[in-house]
Amino acid sequence: MFRSLLYLHWKQINLPLIPFVLAAYALPLLSVQGLGTPPGMESSTLEAYRIVAGAEIWLPAFPLLAAVIGVTLALSAWNWDHQLGHVHALSLPIPRWRYALLKMGGGATLALLPVAGLWIGAHVATASVDLPTGLNAYPNHLALRFLAATLVAYGVLFAMAAGTVRTTVWIVSGVLGFLILGTVLTDFLVGYFPVFYRVNLAELALEALTRAPGPFQVFTGNWMLIDV
Amino acid sequence: MNNAIELSNVSWRAGRSFELQDLSLRVPAGSIYGFLGPNGSGKTTTIRMFMGMMKPDRGDISVLGMAVPRDMPRILARVGYVPERPHVYAALTVGEQVKYHSSFFDLWDPGWAQELIERLGLDSDRKISRMSKGETGKLMVLLALAQRPDLLVLDEPTDGLDPVVRRDVLTAILDYVGERTATVFISSHLVHELERICDWVGVMDDGRLVAELPMTQFKNGIKRIRVDDVDEVPVQMPFTLLSRERRNGSSNAETWIVRGWQDPMRQYFDSVGMTLRDVVDLDLEDGFVELLRSSRPQNLYRS
Repeated sequence: MFRSLLYLHWKQINLPLIPFVLAAYALPLLSVQGLGTPPGMESSTLEAYRIVAGAEIWLPAFPLLAAVIGVTLALSAWNWDHQLGHVHALSLPIPRWRYALLKMGGGATLALLPVAGLWIGAHVATASVDLPTGLNAYPNHLALRFLAATLVAYGVLFAMAAGTVRTTVWIVSGVLGFLILGTVLTDFLVGYFPVFYRVNLAELALEALTRAPGPFQVFTGNWMLIDV
Repeated sequence: MNNAIELSNVSWRAGRSFELQDLSLRVPAGSIYGFLGPNGSGKTTTIRMFMGMMKPDRGDISVLGMAVPRDMPRILARVGYVPERPHVYAALTVGEQVKYHSSFFDLWDPGWAQELIERLGLDSDRKISRMSKGETGKLMVLLALAQRPDLLVLDEPTDGLDPVVRRDVLTAILDYVGERTATVFISSHLVHELERICDWVGVMDDGRLVAELPMTQFKNGIKRIRVDDVDEVPVQMPFTLLSRERRNGSSNAETWIVRGWQDPMRQYFDSVGMTLRDVVDLDLEDGFVELLRSSRPQNLYRS
């Protein structure tokens, strides 16, 4: 069953997945392009600083790519079922939770392809740079973070896409409504309680989600391939 | 298990426009049950109820002696289902779709699936998106049959198919039923198609089951009779009066459509002072139409 669902998902996503795998492979290479200590030159603190600063420019691209891959995998996982009104899925002799779990597992397995691309790319990239003393490469760490971020994006969107369009609209509206209401409520409370001058409820909620132990912390953490 | 499918007082409402009202339905095990009704009468909704795809607001459902929705996976392992619209993945080939589908069914018979592919003239390497409506219909029936089901649920399986494909599909189904004592539940609005193959019939209209009876009774029991000297229609009659119509502008000569007719009932008219002129057989389609008309109370008397 799992192999069948995996194959079905693969049939649907194989073409879009190829550019993602290539992008994941290329991104670490791009992030170290032109960096490193030229042969015959002494490594210096300045050089180390230049490498770190150069790699930092590419930082947002890693979580962004992970999120895009996760979202694409999630939407494609349910796309054909939505088109068929879920009739085929519902007529299969397995519990719905198991079907959803197997389907989710299939997508998560496919997510390993771009992660593998990134992992190889990261190793190739770090091998191509002579790092000054004090700097270290973290290709495995980056690949693990990329995997985690891809799976988080995939998991959230998978759950949302599993429902109806109405459910998705409710969830998105709820989140947006909360953010707007949080800002408006903060403005309102400031009038009565000056302590709220420094507090924004919407910002607090976002921070709770994106800082440890929030579920989206993986997107905002350290994505450095080369660091001290 | 006497009934393969049993619905007891099932009700379900979709907004203000449609509802199933206290639907009770019994499909005898081993029968070929034709489920008739005009478009929008609730046939597909009823099927989705007992296939566990929709939850009724009220009532009990059992299929193959097991409760819906509690035993749904066990039930579906023994049910071959052909839905109203094809539910196959357009990007797959016939072979890929068959392989995908088979992985979910323990009783899948690969040898027979291959035989059906050849018999129905399908090409394993052909992409489903490039197949005609007829070929897709055949594939759907193949998927339902090759899992060796005890119950076949077919929701308008031949709708839109040409006569040749329709015959191929029905022949494959009947052959299967012939070799294995399976129950077939077939929904259609093609009355003549069901007439040839079904031994039981249920008629839906506007969310209600207006009749459920053996096909022979349905075919032979609905008659058009011409009656004279009708002054007042008695409340109690040995048959069911479906509709009545004045004849030739006469005030006491009427044409009746009756259900449950048997020849000895001719004597009844003498006993109530009416004269029976003649009794005409209705074909199944006319009987079906009259049954539907009669199920709408305002249509009992047509002038």
